[in-house]
Amino acid sequence: MRPKENIEEFVKVRKPYVTTSREMDKRTLDNSFAAMEQTIRAKSADHKPSAPRIIILSRMIKLAAVALIIVAISFFIAHQGPSEQGRTTRVLEVAESPFEIMTMKSLTIAYRRGGIEAIENQCEKALKILGPQPASISMADLFNGSNG
Amino acid sequence: MVEDKILVWKFNRGSKDALRRIYEKYKDDLLGLAITLLRDRSLAEDVVHDVFVSFAGTVGTFHLSGTLKGYLSTCVANCARDRNRLRLGRDAGPDVVEAAGLNSDGPIEHAIGHEESDELQDLLARLPYEQREVIVLHLHHEMRFREIAKALGISINTVQSRYRYGLDKLRSILNSVVTK
Repeated sequence: MRPKENIEEFVKVRKPYVTTSREMDKRTLDNSFAAMEQTIRAKSADHKPSAPRIIILSRMIKLAAVALIIVAISFFIAHQGPSEQGRTTRVLEVAESPFEIMTMKSLTIAYRRGGIEAIENQCEKALKILGPQPASISMADLFNGSNG
Repeated sequence: MVEDKILVWKFNRGSKDALRRIYEKYKDDLLGLAITLLRDRSLAEDVVHDVFVSFAGTVGTFHLSGTLKGYLSTCVANCARDRNRLRLGRDAGPDVVEAAGLNSDGPIEHAIGHEESDELQDLLARLPYEQREVIVLHLHHEMRFREIAKALGISINTVQSRYRYGLDKLRSILNSVVTK
């Protein structure tokens, strides 16, 4: 009784060595080349490049699309998320409450930017928000009330 | 393996030289497989011819997932099985295959020069087609059971049992030959 390994080895070493005939080679290769050419012809005849395919395949259009996306993202960031410097300036330019408007700091900034007229404008804005004020109020009283 | 990948790449770009190289590289192995399975040289030549013609028709779209030899061997095995079914349907029955294999004056003996190979061919011819197919694909074409199962569309357990039963039968045939 032969062990399994021996049987496997027996089959392996007796692999048939067959060679093809010249006639077979010629017939097979000729017909294979013909089938190959037929497939290539059929594909080139059927292949009508569509506009989306041209766009997908065009390298220039790909680059342009990437550039457009980068510009769009930059534009979005510039308008939606301002830099720290821009945000600080905006806070300083727009006073959010009468108290902020009337602080010495905000008045100093207003003076630096527009002189005494800017201070007057800022005071008028603050007083509009605060409501009517007595005609006799002095600037010193106003400052005392606002700054605590 | 790398050479095959390059050949396939060139073939997909319409290179006839690549197709010729693939054919010349594997033609003898594939013909040997077909002859072992069918026991008929002219039928085996037709199978190899058909496999290469249909392979050539996949130019531009052919995708190689395993080895090229494995792929072509699978194609030959499948085509040979179809031819065998047709032949069995047309002829008397399963004995026709075995009779063809045992006939020492058949055309196969002209193709297979080695005496040992002749002996194996005669022994394999006594096995059922399915067992012969699995044994030859595994031992002569180095295909794993998983690959064979996938190629033949059967479970790996079926492949392994066919292989085991085939080897057992081969062993018993050999023992009976030795004792005579």
